[in-house]
Amino acid sequence: MAGALLALPGCGVDAEGGGRSYRGTTLAHALPRPSFTLTDTHGQPFDFRSRTDHTVTLLFFGYLNCPDVCPVHLTNIAAVMQKLPYDVTRTLRVVFVTTDPGRDTPEKLQSWLANFDSSFVGLRGTPEQVRAIEKSLELPPAVADAPDSAGDYQIGHAAQVIAFAPDDSAHVVYPFGTRQADWLHDLPLLAQVK
Amino acid sequence: MNVQWWCSARGLPWRWQWTPYPGVWIAVLALGAAYARWSKPLDSGTSANGVSAARRIGGWIAVLLVWLTLDWPGGPLGTGYLASVHGAQFLSLAMIGPPLLLRGIDPDRVRALLDRSPGTARIVGFATKPLFAMIAFTIVMLATHAPGAVDVLMRSQLGAFALDIAWFISGLAFWWPVVLDAPVREHFGPPMRMLYLFAGTQAHLYLAMWLLLADLPVYGIYELAPRVTSLSALEDQQVAGGLLLTIGGTYVLAVISVVFFRWFADPQTDG
Repeated sequence: MAGALLALPGCGVDAEGGGRSYRGTTLAHALPRPSFTLTDTHGQPFDFRSRTDHTVTLLFFGYLNCPDVCPVHLTNIAAVMQKLPYDVTRTLRVVFVTTDPGRDTPEKLQSWLANFDSSFVGLRGTPEQVRAIEKSLELPPAVADAPDSAGDYQIGHAAQVIAFAPDDSAHVVYPFGTRQADWLHDLPLLAQVK
Repeated sequence: MNVQWWCSARGLPWRWQWTPYPGVWIAVLALGAAYARWSKPLDSGTSANGVSAARRIGGWIAVLLVWLTLDWPGGPLGTGYLASVHGAQFLSLAMIGPPLLLRGIDPDRVRALLDRSPGTARIVGFATKPLFAMIAFTIVMLATHAPGAVDVLMRSQLGAFALDIAWFISGLAFWWPVVLDAPVREHFGPPMRMLYLFAGTQAHLYLAMWLLLADLPVYGIYELAPRVTSLSALEDQQVAGGLLLTIGGTYVLAVISVVFFRWFADPQTDG
């Protein structure tokens, strides 16, 4: 899968981040929580910065027809949320930005995300807007494959989930291959970052 | 068409598209040919024993079971997508197939081989010595279900092949002293066989409970595989544990019961 090729290596390796040991991949330099506004699945503007301020926010770029990386990531995050204490989940936001706004209509996006967890936020924007956000987060831009004879196509996209901590910075990302045990270990740590 | 010689986990989305596995065909053909030879009475003119038609058919069912277990779609599903199918594969290759095959073999043919080949007799005698076979079976079962081993072995065709062969060979060795009395073991009568089956499958039950009660998916290969069914990775793992516990446990209990009631009906019997 093209998306998987974009995954960062190093999953499962303990990384030191601010004195805490994460199982995700620690970034060489922290990424500030970006400011952008996209449209949510209700058609309303969603100001990412203000709506997720001081929370643990897992930001992920993908698309509904993704056969592997997206559903596996979201399934694992949703499964772990059922096991985490309320103190952690109440400050946890999961934001999914579609890289395929042409096919991922608001209705489809909402219904698909609700299959994982009804609290997951789905956002849509123009390809240019999404590319600009990806660039600001130092992610490779999503690239669509050539359509097949049926008109279907897949999209190569960044496979890592970016985790913003309550200090409004991302110190660590989670590539494809992150296990539920890793999420269960790291999310409480991230929630404690001040 | 993408041809692999043996199934391995590839991390690709599952498709209901037939895939050939020539290595599986060769292995099953070899098994079938060996069984056809060994299930034939040693000398149809003089052999008093031979094997009953029911036992011979049971052996062919085992060959069929091995084929269905290893070939598409069961093979790739169990190798890279579903822990539940992987559990069923273990039951088939290590618990159900071997005794069915061994029961279909003509014991006279085995005795004749062991009589004329002391080297083979030594190897078979040692490998099927109950204590050794039981320990080896337990070690293989535990080692091949360790998350580290599964996650590494299943990613390569050679690793998956080694795991399948280890299950089958250790299963044959484990079931041999229960099913075949060659070489003769005077002190391994029905009571010892029952005890042997009970003790030899304890690890299996603990393994099943561990899969059933784990809070998280224990195998990365299945947790990170694109989903094939609506079951989550954890639910699928629980099904695997449930299969091992219910089908595996019931099967062993049934065999122990048969040995017991035959012995109870006629204490002179071989069980």
